[in-house]
Amino acid sequence: MTATLSQASRAAPPPPRTKKIAGVGERLSAYAYIAPFFVIFGVFGLFPFAFTFYVALFDWNPIGDQVFIGFDNFVRMFGDPRFWNAAGNTVSIWALSTVPQLLLALVLAHVLNHARLRFALFFRMSVLVPYITSVAATAIVFVQLFDRDYGLFNWLLGLVGVEPIDFVQSTWGSHLLIATMVMWRWFGYTTLLYLASLQSVPRSVFEAAAIDGAGPWQRFRHITVPSLRAVIIFTVVTSTIGGLQIFTEPLLIATGAPLTCGAVRQCQTLTLFLYEQGFGQFEFGYGSAVGVALFVMVVAIAALNYLLSTRIKADR
Amino acid sequence: MKLRSPLLSAAAALALLTACTPGTGGGGGGDGKSFEFWSFSAINQKLTVDAYQAKRPDIQIKLTEVGTSTETAQSLTTALAGGKVPDLVLIQGDNLPQFVQQPQNFVDLRTLGADDVKGDYLDWVWRQSVAKDGEVLGVPTDVGGMAVAYRTDLFAAAGLPTDRAAVSALWPTWDAFIETGKRYKQATGKAFTDNAATSVFYQAVNQVSEKYYSADRKLVYSTNPQVKAAFDLGIKAATAGITSGQSSFESAWSAGMAQGQYAAVSAPSWMLNSIRSTAPDTKGKWDIAKIPGGSGNWGGSYLAIPKRAKNPQAAWEYIKEMQSPQGQLEHFARVGALPSTPAVYQDSKLTDAKDPFFSDAPTGKIYTDSLLGLKPFYIGPDSAAIGQEFLNAITNVEQSGGNPATAWDDALRNIKTAIGE
Repeated sequence: MTATLSQASRAAPPPPRTKKIAGVGERLSAYAYIAPFFVIFGVFGLFPFAFTFYVALFDWNPIGDQVFIGFDNFVRMFGDPRFWNAAGNTVSIWALSTVPQLLLALVLAHVLNHARLRFALFFRMSVLVPYITSVAATAIVFVQLFDRDYGLFNWLLGLVGVEPIDFVQSTWGSHLLIATMVMWRWFGYTTLLYLASLQSVPRSVFEAAAIDGAGPWQRFRHITVPSLRAVIIFTVVTSTIGGLQIFTEPLLIATGAPLTCGAVRQCQTLTLFLYEQGFGQFEFGYGSAVGVALFVMVVAIAALNYLLSTRIKADR
Repeated sequence: MKLRSPLLSAAAALALLTACTPGTGGGGGGDGKSFEFWSFSAINQKLTVDAYQAKRPDIQIKLTEVGTSTETAQSLTTALAGGKVPDLVLIQGDNLPQFVQQPQNFVDLRTLGADDVKGDYLDWVWRQSVAKDGEVLGVPTDVGGMAVAYRTDLFAAAGLPTDRAAVSALWPTWDAFIETGKRYKQATGKAFTDNAATSVFYQAVNQVSEKYYSADRKLVYSTNPQVKAAFDLGIKAATAGITSGQSSFESAWSAGMAQGQYAAVSAPSWMLNSIRSTAPDTKGKWDIAKIPGGSGNWGGSYLAIPKRAKNPQAAWEYIKEMQSPQGQLEHFARVGALPSTPAVYQDSKLTDAKDPFFSDAPTGKIYTDSLLGLKPFYIGPDSAAIGQEFLNAITNVEQSGGNPATAWDDALRNIKTAIGE
């Protein structure tokens, strides 16, 4: 912004007398232009963010006393089986959703990049439809599809004589259900990322390989995958960070006990645990401590991303 | 919601934590001619507000139906912590203790004349809203007498009696209720009741003389034999194969009710409204029988005035008018909520009330009878959390294949984690 403005002023210099004053005004106006973002970010981003670290050190009752207790919330958290259960669920749901999602996206991107694909634009656009569907709508429809008594999926299973599966009430079932929703929502987005990256690979490379006798699998293995290496790492990292924050899906699937995602917290994720403690039990201090823990994990993964991507750049 | 930026996520999770200093100051300062009222949704509060409006056309009432009783309590907590508070708010009995612990957030109703009307209300209901130094924080609007709603058509198909007196005679005790369930299951192959956690345990545990706290307000949930007995009944029902494994108020439960997947459901007085709206097509196919195991209470709500309310006087006038014995009797006639004022229990408007949705069952009489001889117990700040963990343990056995032999110990361990003692 600043650069653009000073270039503009150089292109059409104002009368010399007022030059200096205008220069100051212009320089300050640049800050005024960007101020709304930083003010809003400060109020709704930075302040709550910093305040969380502060609240995490208190036994904080929003309508009562706020007692400083040092690191007791963190000590409690490390000894809390509910925290570790939520962490385990988060990792499990992340693995179940990310691995198949990335593999599927890789194959789809390869297919969509094919030179002889008809209606390529239609297919490329339609994979993005789940991404623009609201999460709540997705969750409501999936819960109905996977319902124990009235679900389409269990009806199909019933046709081949399989007993109905209670997806929501069982640990693996609920994880699979949530992972399916996450996967359905994000595979199109990931596919397009891969596709964009693939399109920067000259088509002649694929053609040359084909002429040299490379089959589809070999072209996939030796051209597609290596040329996508950087973007694959990027998607692994972003979906890991996203996976740590899965919230709406578990909140909406167990309607009988939403805050714990079922009677035995079988699908309660870390963010849902944070929400339950903060806004179900109103233990703001403890909820904030969980938020701080979540923040540390996200920062660690982001740092890993930075290390890996700089190494890849160095390799080139 | 899967946020892709760590900063955004941190902000989203924590943005609501700001501005949490409880407000100070006395309140008042409104025009006295209007007040804001937060209530639950789906309890037809508007009918009563309209009735008051007709009596007092000079008063403007802004009614907000916040959501479920839990959501209303959550919104109230947030508002008390630093937002705009209503002048009048409805608080469900289970949520009340957390507010009674912090009386500084509410107007002590004694300052407005609560002592004058105290005698109108059931003593044990009134006492639940009294804080440690005697502050009166709420006036009880209704109580939740207990009963069982059952489907006469499904009972007939299973060869069970359908007359409400004969059905009540089937189950003097909870064990007999479970046995009846087995008979039904044998005859029809279908589930008898919706779930063990709420339809059996939560009823039985509200029929005790001492629940999770002793009379002197000490935690006794782990040693109280009455709680253990109620829990064992819940486990027995869960493992008897007589439930359809649908937790109350979840979507499958609603669908199951509309489709007759279960024939009996425990019905505190406020549940009747739920059945009416959940399964309107089953009108006339229901009847109401006595609850097994004797008298008890589940639920009931209170009206309170936050300290920072702008129009506390107008709100109090509403309470005085609409929660008087006569006001509650009219409220019963409008929406079926059971009065908390025993003076009207013999009134013919209540004793003669019949509900066509439930085969003309005399709802007023059945529910007030269920309160007679009730042994009140103390409800403490952790009662709701303790009850939830017991419910979860039974639901786990019923729906997630949990081990019934370890359920009690699991529940105690989870309670200890949840409440820290």
